[in-house]
Amino acid sequence: MSKREMPEPEPLNLVPIMNLVTILIPVLLMAIKSLELAVIDTSLPAISRSTAAPQEEIPDKPPLQLKMAVTNQGIRILGANEYLYPGQVKTDNADEEKGKPDVPCKSNARCKGIDDYNWSDLSQKLAQIKKAAQDDDRDSDSVVLISDNNIKYEILVKTMDTSRRSADGNKLFPSVSIAGGTNQ
Amino acid sequence: MAKKERRVPEAEELNITSMMDMMTIILVFLLKSFSATEVTVTPSSNLKLPMSEADKQPSVALNVVVAKDAIIVDNKRVLNLESYDDQNYPGQKMYRIPESERPGGGFDVPSLGAAFQDVVSQFDKITGLAQKAGRDDIGFDGKILFQIDKDIPFTVVRDVMYNAGQAKFSEFEFVVIKTGE
Repeated sequence: MSKREMPEPEPLNLVPIMNLVTILIPVLLMAIKSLELAVIDTSLPAISRSTAAPQEEIPDKPPLQLKMAVTNQGIRILGANEYLYPGQVKTDNADEEKGKPDVPCKSNARCKGIDDYNWSDLSQKLAQIKKAAQDDDRDSDSVVLISDNNIKYEILVKTMDTSRRSADGNKLFPSVSIAGGTNQ
Repeated sequence: MAKKERRVPEAEELNITSMMDMMTIILVFLLKSFSATEVTVTPSSNLKLPMSEADKQPSVALNVVVAKDAIIVDNKRVLNLESYDDQNYPGQKMYRIPESERPGGGFDVPSLGAAFQDVVSQFDKITGLAQKAGRDDIGFDGKILFQIDKDIPFTVVRDVMYNAGQAKFSEFEFVVIKTGE
């Protein structure tokens, strides 16, 4: 009588599954977007401790006092009209508010979002101002950011980014102060 | 009759070579992406940090989180933000500090101010103790790390900065997500 051989249960062969997992894990890891954090330094203009060295002599040409006003129709650049529009008489007074901003939105009306602002135009104009100020010996690293009340924070961060460095890596205006804002 | 060796059903050894491969790959990847900053960001749907090309490393400072629903100072929720619709921005939610938090009008928000003052008094206690122990280098540096959601309007940012400034904080660092450039 032949012994009935109980078919031995085959042990589960996990090797192919492990191989599959070994391939999948690197693929998934490559797809992870790792978040690296950085910070933007800024200071309140009125309360920050002054780190400027006391000036013993008054320079002939006062350094550039650049301001950027972020509105929902674009960005106005104040304090550098002679570099942006050489030869034209344009003053930064209240009537300016009604005119077109220096860097209007791409859609030419109310900006619809962060991508609707013309960042490349702003970068170009800032580079133009920086170069002209350096030629004129009025170079300055600081800019004051003034914003309308309802401008989203990411737009301010992008403005600070654009003013920090130009498209080809030159330093523009890295030292940003944030002003109190307009009453709108 | 040849004696068949009784096959004792041995437990088949589990072949873990592939698992070790996987562990090695994960280990190498994690070592590569290890970054030793002490700043912790709690990701949530209410806190989406903006992207930026900034590359300065965050340092240890007071954490102030301005998310879409609340303002949190030093891991304590100080006040809730309310969302509303603005006709000038159709289809987008706007966020603001409720008027009830501003009894006097203007930029002052007492609950925020009190929260900052609490932190400052803790700092002062520590500084006092440190000076008694002879450590004169420990002092109040007035630094704040702001983690602000990207959709928060400027009014909220300004009010938080104002109240922080009233409590003598002056060095503000805004935490952003670094874009790979």
